[in-house]
Amino acid sequence: MPSHDATRAPDPVPADRRLSRRSLLRGSAVAGATGLAVTAMGAVAGPALADSRRPSATEPSATDLASGRGEAALPNEPIVVHVRDAKSGDIEVFSGTSQTRLRDQDLAARIARAIA
Amino acid sequence: MSSHREAPEISKDPVADSTDVYAFVSPDAPGTVTLIANYVPLQLPSGGPNFYEFGDDVLYEIHIDNNGDGRADISYQFRFRTTVRNPGTFLYNTGAITSLTDPHWNRVQTYDVAVVSGGSQSTLGTGLPCPPCNIGPLSTPDYASLAAAAVNHLNGISVFAGQRAEAFYVDLGAIFDLGDLRPFEHLHAPVGMLGAMSGVNATNHLNVSSIAIQVPISTVTISGHPTIGVWTTASRRRVTVWDADRGETVLSGPWRQVSRLGNPLVNEVLIPMGEKDLWNSLPPADDKKFAGYITHPGLAGLLNTLYPGVFPHLAALVAAKKPRADLEAILLTGIPAGIITGFTNFTGPVLADMLRLNTSIAPATKPNILGLVGGDAAGFPNGRRVADDVVTIELRAIAGVTYPLIDSHFKPDGAAGAITDFASDPPAIGSRPIHTFPYLGVPYSGYNHPS
Repeated sequence: MPSHDATRAPDPVPADRRLSRRSLLRGSAVAGATGLAVTAMGAVAGPALADSRRPSATEPSATDLASGRGEAALPNEPIVVHVRDAKSGDIEVFSGTSQTRLRDQDLAARIARAIA
Repeated sequence: MSSHREAPEISKDPVADSTDVYAFVSPDAPGTVTLIANYVPLQLPSGGPNFYEFGDDVLYEIHIDNNGDGRADISYQFRFRTTVRNPGTFLYNTGAITSLTDPHWNRVQTYDVAVVSGGSQSTLGTGLPCPPCNIGPLSTPDYASLAAAAVNHLNGISVFAGQRAEAFYVDLGAIFDLGDLRPFEHLHAPVGMLGAMSGVNATNHLNVSSIAIQVPISTVTISGHPTIGVWTTASRRRVTVWDADRGETVLSGPWRQVSRLGNPLVNEVLIPMGEKDLWNSLPPADDKKFAGYITHPGLAGLLNTLYPGVFPHLAALVAAKKPRADLEAILLTGIPAGIITGFTNFTGPVLADMLRLNTSIAPATKPNILGLVGGDAAGFPNGRRVADDVVTIELRAIAGVTYPLIDSHFKPDGAAGAITDFASDPPAIGSRPIHTFPYLGVPYSGYNHPS
């Protein structure tokens, strides 16, 4: 949507359905190599990520994530992982109307191996 | 065209492709303004069995800026939902559709309307019915009544969403053939051997999908600022994945704008191809980066090339590389007070492509389709009415007719004031608009207009 003059309307995605680090890990079982996006409904845990998500008023803060506050339940909607560049670990993750950007070379490499 | 198929990417996505925006003080409903945004261009009326509809996966919005910063202060949002009542038939309808709840109508579309303002979103209506497409006398025997029943009244606001007759008129076949204007064909450099003839309306007997809303002026303006900026956008989710196993599309991520339209022909004619889809993705507030394409329009130079010797004063203006402050005012800021006696639709210094409507100007009793350049301040570029001849108005402006507004010493070429797409006046625009909301004419039926 275009930027709005006043504060934007509330994000229609309930807080408990937004992405958190853990929900991302649960949902990152299936993904693609560079430039490939796939949906992921599975639940395989992975190692902690080097969180580089962009701050957003509608998402939990980095402090929240580190402390476990803002932990969200596993989204009911599909999670889509887009590995923009496997070499640099540039990853986008989508669920509902949320998105987050990660830079994690290990995760990208594991995803690339999974799809190979 | 006004904005039909105007950019490479959006031309492949017709349900999200905005074609025209209209904004005018409602002639039959004093104190209200009507805003119309059309989508899904060039609909052949006989295009079944899967007739035209809005995208269930598209967020359609009509925006209003009422403080001149090029950002939306009020946004009306429309989301659609399609229901197939009987998936066991290939037919759109299995009998005559005589009401909006007729069980013979197999593929039904409804919509929700919300308004975003002041940081909050309010639902105006849910499950509102669209009319079916106009198929023919056996399937939609009383189409006008069917469509009229689809006008919804919601606490002082009227809304409609559905198929209507295309009202925009242009000789596409000629104008995209190296800028040929049939009435001036004998002066055209490559085809000068041809004789002059009247234009042919390429959009005649075609339909569009129209979203119209009529709201009290008092709800969209702020005190002391009667002029509003209007534009429409269509947005899609960031991610689309075709889940072949389930036979469904998976949508994910935030909404991202893929189509935008304010003034007609700006993205179509003035923005270069390499930036058209970028332009579509941005808000009007970002239009400063495109301002050079408006103040130094490539088309002005092209007119001199295609019609050699016909526009000598325009040629001199182009050669002098003087910025077209007249076009900047018309399209990006509004016209300041003091330029045209008794008129202004200036919204401030922010360069933003919006359809600017001074809501304090009453509807004309005898509208002139040339709007402001025809002496009718209630017409384009003061908003835009359904019948306004925006192609002629903008072509004449680009050819220099409006340059004296900022340089009284400039004398426009005689040909500039005579440019027209059509030799007849008024042009043959096909289905005439109706005089009440939603104003666009009854759509053409596939039976009566099969090709």
